[in-house]
Amino acid sequence: MKRAKVLLLGEIEHAHESWNSLSNLATLTNPKTHTRTGFLKECKDGEMDGVLVIYRTFASVEFTGRFDEELINVLPATVRFICHNGAGYDQVDVNACTRRGIKVSNTPSAVNDSTADMNMFLILGALRRLNTSMTSLRAGKWRGNVAPPLGHNPEGKTLGILGMGGIGRNLREKAVAFGMRIVYHNRNRLSEELAGGAEYASFEHLLRLSDVISLNLPLNNETRHKISTREFSLMKKGVVIVNTARGAVIDEGALVQALESGHVASAGLDVYEDEPIIHPGLLANPHVMLLPHMGTWTVETQTAMEECNIENVRSALETGCLKSIVPEQTHA
Amino acid sequence: MAQRAALLIGGVTHAQKEWKESSQFASQLYEYPDGTREDFISKCKQGVFKDVFALYRSNDSNKITGNFDAELLDALPKSLRFICHNGAGYDNIDIPACTQRGILVSSTPIAVNDATADVAIFLMLGALRNITQVFDSVRQGKWRGNFQLGHDPKNKVLGILGMGGIGSAVAHRAKAFGMRIQYHNRHQLPAEEEDGAKYVTFEELLKTSDVLSLNLSLNSSTRHIIAKPQFDAMKDGVIIINTARGLLIDEAALVDALKSRKVWTAGLDVFEEEPKIHPGLLEADNVVLLPHIGTGTFETQRDMELLVLDNLKSAIKEEKLLTQVPEQKKPKAHI
Repeated sequence: MKRAKVLLLGEIEHAHESWNSLSNLATLTNPKTHTRTGFLKECKDGEMDGVLVIYRTFASVEFTGRFDEELINVLPATVRFICHNGAGYDQVDVNACTRRGIKVSNTPSAVNDSTADMNMFLILGALRRLNTSMTSLRAGKWRGNVAPPLGHNPEGKTLGILGMGGIGRNLREKAVAFGMRIVYHNRNRLSEELAGGAEYASFEHLLRLSDVISLNLPLNNETRHKISTREFSLMKKGVVIVNTARGAVIDEGALVQALESGHVASAGLDVYEDEPIIHPGLLANPHVMLLPHMGTWTVETQTAMEECNIENVRSALETGCLKSIVPEQTHA
Repeated sequence: MAQRAALLIGGVTHAQKEWKESSQFASQLYEYPDGTREDFISKCKQGVFKDVFALYRSNDSNKITGNFDAELLDALPKSLRFICHNGAGYDNIDIPACTQRGILVSSTPIAVNDATADVAIFLMLGALRNITQVFDSVRQGKWRGNFQLGHDPKNKVLGILGMGGIGSAVAHRAKAFGMRIQYHNRHQLPAEEEDGAKYVTFEELLKTSDVLSLNLSLNSSTRHIIAKPQFDAMKDGVIIINTARGLLIDEAALVDALKSRKVWTAGLDVFEEEPKIHPGLLEADNVVLLPHIGTGTFETQRDMELLVLDNLKSAIKEEKLLTQVPEQKKPKAHI
């Protein structure tokens, strides 16, 4: 019997032992080309036949491009599983996969702590207006020739969490330690236990009520530009916005305008609509704190994510089922 | 009854109304908003601040008058009995010299705890995540640059040196990030105040902490409490956080330790000779630096000013302070 093949798109950086141990179960292969055109051709020419499971990384999008309908449709018929290393999987057109009978997994919980940590870091940085004084210190001016703006304490402020999934709930626990009051909005209201004391609010109510708004929801067709001009107009004057989810959830141009008008006092961002390109209006603003999509960039979390993704590959090979199938396909 | 005037040195920014209302209990309000040490001493000697009973020493007044040492204390009006200092740290006041002259001193503890702890956690997360490299490359348009992965706080050991109000507030926050807390203090805290933190010796703290946070006050016995021998005793790759006072650390030794990566990263809000910073710190990309803004929020600045004014009121009306400095709260000190 021919051994199943597992195709690696991207790199394994930490979990080498676990990855290599998969060779007991399947043949581990790599693509020969490093362009999207080359990859599509390899698929069409039958060179990928026999691949049962694809392990893909977030960064591999740089050579294959998005796992959109065009690409999904040329994958060989043998492909049954795509194991995506990452919690956000908007790079993969899940509907196209479902139509072809391909199951998709992501790595949800492995990312929770480190993403929530950076989320809290950005909340503190933006609320305390720390970017201005950090920059003036580095420019040799100590606090600056003009005194930096005073910040605000998180204590007693209302944090509105938009998207109370694993990361949102993890953030809630940390924010509470700083004395923040938590309200949340989610597609579905959570049980009291899961909400951990956070108050449920409608989307509009959350916008009106919050001193700090944190975006912790996935990107999909319904959530693209969920925060735009109209939403900014509903927010409190002086609101602070933090985004560690996906850039396109916010209309970046509208955010820049809201910052320039002062309606949004400060922002902390880890993600951008067109990353790695950042809106020049953000780069020019000394009051915003900007990070280059590094929510999960720790040795411990990167290792855990790879291990989790490899677990999904192993599970697919051994049982024909994934360990963390994406929610949209749970009943597929 | 004797006149009891109040003198404000420096400024009051967030509680002007309440300062002005002090005329309800103070016979007169004097202000010395700006000037020099020489000018201030001269005015004192000329008797400009007649009948001053209590003075409000604002947070930024050290650059006006210099340290409150024996020379300056001797120049102050003889009527002065109370110095109400705005700041949790008061190392620029010679407390024994005050006590000798029968002058009681208050500081502003508690009011500073949350804001300072918030900055300590910000610095800790930034140091753990190697953030300086990344801030630089983003702003230079290089996205991640030569990025080195950081570390999660979860399950790491946080050692707190000085488990006072601020240290406890840091511990409370760090627990939410999954850290294990140990501390060293002059005295072990009662169990109900430890909140699960483990008391260890100073040596044990140095040897076994993954992250070390300095939250102790500066005095003659704690100056350079962290120097080369202490760095040598620490774990390889330790992370150092200092929101207390720069002089607690031998800054040049820290620079060496950062270069060798013995200290993997550090987060500092205070410096030995601030606003001057050791050039080795500015050159390093494995250190997060803030310009002593631990209490830089509207809410905390106002709370601190109000606490000083409350001490001032208590001093003038009742001849006692609300938050007298601990060094003076011994049976020997008396008016």
